Amino acid sequence: MDIRIERRERVSVIAVEGSVDGATAPALVASFREEVLGGMVRIVGDFSGVDYTSSAGLRALLETVKETRQRGGDLRLASVQPDVWRVLDLAGFTGILKLYGDTDAAVASFAG
Amino acid sequence: MEAEVPSRRSRIAVVIGSGSVKCAAAIGLFKVLQREGIPVDMVVGCSGGAIYAAFLALGHDAATAEKKTRELWTRDITHRRNTRALLRAILPQVFGFDERFGLVDDRRVLERLRDGLGDSRIEDARIPLHLTATDFHTGEQVVFSRGPLVEAVRASIAIPYIFEPWRVGDRLLVDGFLSDPMPIGVAIREGADVIITMGFESPYQTKVTSALRFAFQISSITSNNLLKANYAFHNLAHHHEILPILPQFQHKIHLFDTDKIPYVIEEGERAAEKQIPYLRGLVGPRPA
Repeated sequence: MDIRIERRERVSVIAVEGSVDGATAPALVASFREEVLGGMVRIVGDFSGVDYTSSAGLRALLETVKETRQRGGDLRLASVQPDVWRVLDLAGFTGILKLYGDTDAAVASFAG
Repeated sequence: MEAEVPSRRSRIAVVIGSGSVKCAAAIGLFKVLQREGIPVDMVVGCSGGAIYAAFLALGHDAATAEKKTRELWTRDITHRRNTRALLRAILPQVFGFDERFGLVDDRRVLERLRDGLGDSRIEDARIPLHLTATDFHTGEQVVFSRGPLVEAVRASIAIPYIFEPWRVGDRLLVDGFLSDPMPIGVAIREGADVIITMGFESPYQTKVTSALRFAFQISSITSNNLLKANYAFHNLAHHHEILPILPQFQHKIHLFDTDKIPYVIEEGERAAEKQIPYLRGLVGPRPA
């Protein structure tokens, strides 16, 4: 899994590539946490390159969502691919996360 | 970062949820697991998934499981209507109505189950097997881990309104999907580490042209939401990995589309293959 971080003013865009599973979730959580502890609590997860997520991946997302929201921010996802969307939907995540068609829209959503 | 390597080999469970003929995709999953030499320590099944869980846990190869399904699940198992049940539904005060309600005469399906499964007992399966049904009176999930296989499968596929609830001992049982359409919780409770799960949402009616279709629609809404709620909980509750294998079907698969079984198996195989590299990482290298 590859993780790239880009700052767009007060929003941190974390682009993830590969599978989010037990092998990779700890690295993703660490990246998310580093941003949160650095004060970047508005995070967009660019999931255009994510092809699969397991239960460990879902737990990583949930942990970050809770951490950001506790600090007044949020984790929002962009460009979620159909296979991953199905898992998110099955696990009820589409009901608690804000999802956007692309990264720009997700970043813009924090402007309001 | 590397995946945590447990000191003992991870116990692997395969969970096959409800989904009628679509559950045949589990045959494709097993083909992949066998080809890759990935051991399965337990199989859990409910509703349509109970049939495949049984075949696969008994040790049937993919071709035999497919053949047995084609023999078992044919359209004529629902041809004989249960006229008395219909009369009881329409005129309950005249004919009397009770919980043993099902619009289809179940003698044929029972006969087919007996032909396909014989006298096998659950505890005799090569892979430990757990099948689920639902207590009609309490709504509780009932898990069969031993006893006559035919009885457990018949209870697990007691589709509401279609087949009448099935009595096992002192409990009246209905379809397993009513308590959990994808019973991952059973695998967690039985000590599984890595849980490979295959589940399907119930289809929604395109047109509601009868009271029965109306009832099916309500049932699909309820069970699909139950599937998601339970899956969400199990994901958070489990200490290790749950790997969903969700085959995608380009063609619509109906309840008795047994002619589409080869296609369904192929899609199951395709979906499973995608997860092999990660699964391999979790369970270790292929045995020499």
